[in-house]
Amino acid sequence: MPQKTSRYGLTESETRALCSRVLGLSKADHARVQILSGWRGFTRTATNRVTTAGGSEDISVQITSGFGKRLASLRTNSLDQAGLETAVRKSEDMARISPENPEYMDELGPQQYDTVAGYYDSTGDLSPDARASAMNYAIEQARLTDTVAAGYMDVRAGSMALATTNDLFAYHSSTGVASTLTARTPEGKSSGWAGDQGSDWRNIENERIGIDAVRKCLEWRSSSALDPGKYTVVLEPTAVGMLMSRMLGAFDARRADEGRSFFSGTEVGENRIGEHLFDSRVSLVSDPSSRDAETAPFSGEGLPARSEVWVDKGVLRNLNYSRFWAERSDTASKPRPSNLLMLGGSDSTSDMIRSIRRGVLITRFWYIRGLNPRTISYTGLTRDGTFLIENGKVSRPVNNFRFNQSLAELLQNVEMLGRSVQVCASENSSVSTPIVAPALKVRDFNLSSVSDAI
Amino acid sequence: MPVRTDDDLLARNYLKALQHAVDQRMSRRDFMKLTGAAGLGLLAVPGGFGCSSPVGDGFSPDASELSLILLAVDEVKSAGADYGDVRISRHWFESIRSREKQITGVSSSDSYGIGIRALVGGSWGFSATHKLTRDDVIRTAREAVNIASANNKIAPSEVTLAPVDVTKNVYWETPHEIDPFEVSIEDKADLLFRTNEAALSVPGVSFVSSGFSSVKEARLLATTDGSLIQQTLLRISPSVNITAVSSDRSDFQSRGAVAEAASLGWEYVQGLDLPGNAPAWGEDAVMKLSAAPVDAGKWDLVLHPSNLWLTIHENVGHPTELDRALGYEANYAGTSYLHPPEAVLNKLRMGPDFMNFQGDRTQVGGGATVGYDDEAVPADTWSIIEDGTFVDYQTTREQAAWIEEYTGITRSHGCSYGQTWASIPFQRMPNVSLMPGEDNLSEEDIIAQTDHGILIEGNGSYSIDQQRYNFQFAGQVFWEIKNGKKDRMLRDVAYVGRTPEFWNSLAAIGGKDTYYLGTTFGDAKGQPGQSNAVSHGCPVSLFRDVDIINTA
Repeated sequence: MPQKTSRYGLTESETRALCSRVLGLSKADHARVQILSGWRGFTRTATNRVTTAGGSEDISVQITSGFGKRLASLRTNSLDQAGLETAVRKSEDMARISPENPEYMDELGPQQYDTVAGYYDSTGDLSPDARASAMNYAIEQARLTDTVAAGYMDVRAGSMALATTNDLFAYHSSTGVASTLTARTPEGKSSGWAGDQGSDWRNIENERIGIDAVRKCLEWRSSSALDPGKYTVVLEPTAVGMLMSRMLGAFDARRADEGRSFFSGTEVGENRIGEHLFDSRVSLVSDPSSRDAETAPFSGEGLPARSEVWVDKGVLRNLNYSRFWAERSDTASKPRPSNLLMLGGSDSTSDMIRSIRRGVLITRFWYIRGLNPRTISYTGLTRDGTFLIENGKVSRPVNNFRFNQSLAELLQNVEMLGRSVQVCASENSSVSTPIVAPALKVRDFNLSSVSDAI
Repeated sequence: MPVRTDDDLLARNYLKALQHAVDQRMSRRDFMKLTGAAGLGLLAVPGGFGCSSPVGDGFSPDASELSLILLAVDEVKSAGADYGDVRISRHWFESIRSREKQITGVSSSDSYGIGIRALVGGSWGFSATHKLTRDDVIRTAREAVNIASANNKIAPSEVTLAPVDVTKNVYWETPHEIDPFEVSIEDKADLLFRTNEAALSVPGVSFVSSGFSSVKEARLLATTDGSLIQQTLLRISPSVNITAVSSDRSDFQSRGAVAEAASLGWEYVQGLDLPGNAPAWGEDAVMKLSAAPVDAGKWDLVLHPSNLWLTIHENVGHPTELDRALGYEANYAGTSYLHPPEAVLNKLRMGPDFMNFQGDRTQVGGGATVGYDDEAVPADTWSIIEDGTFVDYQTTREQAAWIEEYTGITRSHGCSYGQTWASIPFQRMPNVSLMPGEDNLSEEDIIAQTDHGILIEGNGSYSIDQQRYNFQFAGQVFWEIKNGKKDRMLRDVAYVGRTPEFWNSLAAIGGKDTYYLGTTFGDAKGQPGQSNAVSHGCPVSLFRDVDIINTA
């Protein structure tokens, strides 16, 4: 890791200069250059100690060269003049011999982007010692309660830039941090998890994560059998976020128009925009400048990414269109969601529990895999704290389950919504596409078989 | 409706491709290893599996790389590390994708840098940079040691590294005839277009996508023990996915090709005859639209290796990772039902007497096949399940001592791997394979042993819990077996089970002629997540009374 003297990642002026150098070497009809630069640090704990920690820094340049509709792209991190020249020439050689891509659209010219301030020095300046100290609090919590902690902290800081031979330039710098903890009993009979993700280290509540993971682990001890079946469930925000992250790719207009999506209409070329498809309290939006869930205000090819409403009060309002598909469909292009925010309600998790005669409380999921894109169906397993609810109270810890569930049906079966919070929605607890989600009460959730895993 | 009559088409295609590779380059001995035939014969002869290509010749690192890697090793030592290893590596990746009659993407990348790992007490520190100057290498080496020292102060502990012989100035490369990076994009595109055209010639096929991904890694490794090893690793992954949409648009079905990835050269892809096989895969996709929905319930399962390899990956490969079993991966990949080691090693019955699983990093074509691991340990072959009993885990140098008391094995099995120069090496899966049966049964022989079964080919959706008990796996194509004969096609099938019961329901396995290696480049583990390439070999296998669900 470099000595910390300034922010990680190239500055806007440095990327402008590097983009000019690369595009200046280009002999192609058109070219696009993308620069990723920055640093990633990590600390892992297991068996109540820090096991590994480290960091890596890198700068890479991707050049996409095109001759007419023949194009090819190449990424390299050899940035001296000879390395860049070799990369540009090779991408051109590859492009010349590549077959035409009839769907290629000319490179974009200058665009108007929203300004997103996504770089937080609180995150970028975080030292390995500070990471280890923060995680040591959780280890102490675990020791005090005779549980065993395994945790992870993932920190990223850097910038990305994009330029084309048609004078487009885009730049965005960002930070991200994810902190998670799993606490288990020494003999492995119970497990609890808690975690956070954000752009700003100051909002990561490491003490709460330590306390919550240990509390879950202690509460879930002595779990007993519960039959599989369809239950009314309370999904905690992380569980909802893990499912909603699957919606990021579900709004593709082409797949809908071609008959390969839940959003496909009955005729070829038709989709279901404008139809009331979900419960009226369900709204799904994306917003690159959402505080602490920021994303770049542009897509990989330079399209502006703006605040977008995908589902408004249960009605499908928008699908994402590639530039090619937008032109064919005579509509505006729209990049896929950059992040996903499910709007919440005012119900607390305890309100939800109180309203349930018999149901299941679920902390989070694991190994979620697609089953059927026409119903947006997924399978996966519960993990790290699953409880039976009886007569308005959490009555006992129970075994884990596999679920087989259509997310479309889930969004139709929503009964109560909590306040939305940012969650760590990736299964490997790394910094990933920001997801903001509420706790939900959902009826008829299909817990299809028992899992013995703890 | 077209009916495929060739029961053994898929296995035969694969073997044909391998035979092609053999004709081009491999000795018969290598081929026997690849098909597993030699695996049985040599099981009783420890060390019978040598490295799959000659070592020693070809060691020729760049002079500046050599100087930098030795500088890093010196710096790690003088900064006070108990042990350290350093990798300078370059990673090339190339991808070409197509759909129908067009190329949808051609891309390639190369990435070059240095990664330094240091051990102080019981804590590992790691630092990596793309800046390969003497000053940056010194700074990065000190950073790795500083991180390790700081962490060891918080919670001091100790690590005993298993002994390893010093290996100096050795070169190893993936056996191959044609480097995929020497094959032009035009030739690759031409093969994809011919494949797509052949698939689209089948009435009812609406979409086809296909592609090739190629990986090449040039790795130079030096350890503070004095080992210095240069390796070149190659991998290639063909893919074809064919979709048929029903005439009323109410349904669509896809068929992924059975064309496995492999650590081999381009000659392997040439031997697959993708255009020749695409129509049969297209016919499968169309047939799936009108296939009979499966009735949920208990069925016997005949799992073709193109399906079974991924099941092995999930419910034998992962739970036999020792770090996972001991809680080191609890926060992501999970733990294991094979826990604690002293209660299960040489005690737990995993399946019938004829069930033998082998861990190995020497098999030609295997995704995890190397000359040496990232701790300079030579590629190994060892038993994981012997005559139905669990006998050993996958280990690194740090881990071997943790179970030495129960296994009697003092050396590492050589399972350390970091994905790139920027990744910290840790325990990763070797090739873990189910050995073929001695009775040399054919696929027909296996099918004949059930009156009410389903034959499953290819991988579909798959999901398993974090201790590897409850699994649900689908497939690409499902055939009903009635009274010992393959009958009509079924659809929407997934098998669900609990791992220990599943392997104990193994009733018959095919012989070496049905053995086949399946490969993934995407074995995920660790935080930050890293991808590992790994293969699993297995014969056609019969399981009794497995729970089938209808996923529609």
